[in-house]
Amino acid sequence: MATVIESTKPAFRIPWETFLGFGLLLPSMLVFLVFYYAPAVFLAYISFFHWNIFASQSIFVGLSNFQILFKQPLFWQSLLNSLYYAAVMVPASTMISLGIALLLREGIRFKRGAIVRSMVFLPHVTPIVATSIIWIWLFDPQFGLLNAILGFFHLPQPGWLASTHWAMPAVMIYSLWHSIGLYTVLFLGALTTLPRSVLEAAQVDGAKKWYLFKRIILPLVSPVTFFVIVLATIDSLQSFSQIYTLTGGPHGGAGGPAFSTTTDSILIYETAFIYQHFSLASAMSLMLFLLILLLTLAQKWIADRFVFYR
Amino acid sequence: MSKYLLTVLRILIAVFFIIPVYWTFVIATGSRGAAYSLPPVFLPAFHFHAMWVVLTQTRWFRYLFNSVLITSITILSVLVSSIAAGYALAEVRVPGKNLIFYLMLGVMMLPGQALLIPQYVVMFHLHLLNSYAGLILPFTASTSGIFLFRQYFMKLPKSYREVSRVENVNTWTYIRRVAVPLAKPAVATVTLLTFISTWNQFQWPLIMTDTTNLDPIELALTHYMQTYQANWRELTSASLLALLPIIIVFLFTQKHIVAAVAGGEQGGKD
Repeated sequence: MATVIESTKPAFRIPWETFLGFGLLLPSMLVFLVFYYAPAVFLAYISFFHWNIFASQSIFVGLSNFQILFKQPLFWQSLLNSLYYAAVMVPASTMISLGIALLLREGIRFKRGAIVRSMVFLPHVTPIVATSIIWIWLFDPQFGLLNAILGFFHLPQPGWLASTHWAMPAVMIYSLWHSIGLYTVLFLGALTTLPRSVLEAAQVDGAKKWYLFKRIILPLVSPVTFFVIVLATIDSLQSFSQIYTLTGGPHGGAGGPAFSTTTDSILIYETAFIYQHFSLASAMSLMLFLLILLLTLAQKWIADRFVFYR
Repeated sequence: MSKYLLTVLRILIAVFFIIPVYWTFVIATGSRGAAYSLPPVFLPAFHFHAMWVVLTQTRWFRYLFNSVLITSITILSVLVSSIAAGYALAEVRVPGKNLIFYLMLGVMMLPGQALLIPQYVVMFHLHLLNSYAGLILPFTASTSGIFLFRQYFMKLPKSYREVSRVENVNTWTYIRRVAVPLAKPAVATVTLLTFISTWNQFQWPLIMTDTTNLDPIELALTHYMQTYQANWRELTSASLLALLPIIIVFLFTQKHIVAAVAGGEQGGKD
């Protein structure tokens, strides 16, 4: 039937379909091009100019934005802070979420396991500022719940967000609380689809639990592990909202105390929107862009060697 | 023995993740000064006075209106644009389809933080700063939404399309009456995910507006942080009010949300 229709109007069927197709794709493509690809190209352009958003002229200054940037100690410190944050967040969130997923795996078929899973997942969908507010109070050195618990066990009570050493760990604890649910659910998905026959065969052969985990479960979930690591890396290098809110952004001083939580994204925000140095901020953005790209490529290279794809 | 230990561990984990939300409720509805009591008060006192203050003596409903407006228009636009593009990728023969496909994938690879500065400049030149349009337009297309609908439309039997072609049903009617009703789970998934991401938006409105008239709730909360400083009951009441819609939606759709976030394609199973 269809062939008959095709043969009756072959002349304008294809152009019309092309027209229709592009018409349907147009809204999305327009949004992607105008608000994402154009800025991406634009980013490289602004980085090499002395740029003022309110004046129409911009002067080509070559690499001088980068030269200025590299002489700023704060730039290097923000890079270190970001790497410190990512270096803790990526392994911590990967291992903790895998651990929780293993713990919940058996219970997931019953109602109780599903409830725990939902509770672990809930923080991930909560708005960051709304939940950061209560965490600021939980972290309060004097009246906070956290220090009350630590005090109950006679453990040292750090100053958390008020201390230069503990502000970053406090932010990390919040971020772990907020993000682990997602990774746990991803791991759970992989664990519930493990081939039962392989696990049972190993058990029949008398494999110990640790051996089972190391030699069978770990390789079988490695594609998800890789995915989680990439996701966590990209996510932690771009964390902004929780650092901004927890470290006093609403009061005008995000990234404190004493720049101890000034990560790259906080510094970019402050350079551009508080100190109005757009060229410098975009030079930093370009560095961040390249850093994320480089890390993703490196991880891909590693994954090609160690990830076991079924 | 170790079985009980594991159960205790599971309960501890659940408590760790749920306690901040519970604590927001405890502080918000506690009696005056309860936030500052040592040792802490662990039970809520159900005093809703502070919440009443936030609702009646601040511009809460203005912020709520902004959030609802921005979220609902974004959801509708994402649905329309994703259905259209998903249909085009699945059913229509378009030249250069692969290139378009990769362009869409590429959007997901662009690191958002690195793009904010040039995006701000683009918004400035389009005169979209400080406008609802500026808060909505950049989020009216979604790669994951497009791919989800594409997947659903590709699974539809070819005969449906052929029958409707024979019956002279036009494409618009086919999409509206046949394709979309059969992709209802995808509609639900895209709606839920867009709702969560839009309602929770913070950095974009923070940068793109400098008037409080346009602020959605999540951004308005930072103003409450300035005004209420140490009034923890009012402050946590505000954050509880901001949390409430998300928590209610989550309670009713948790299975679907978990599946949707864990992998768009699994969202359609129930």
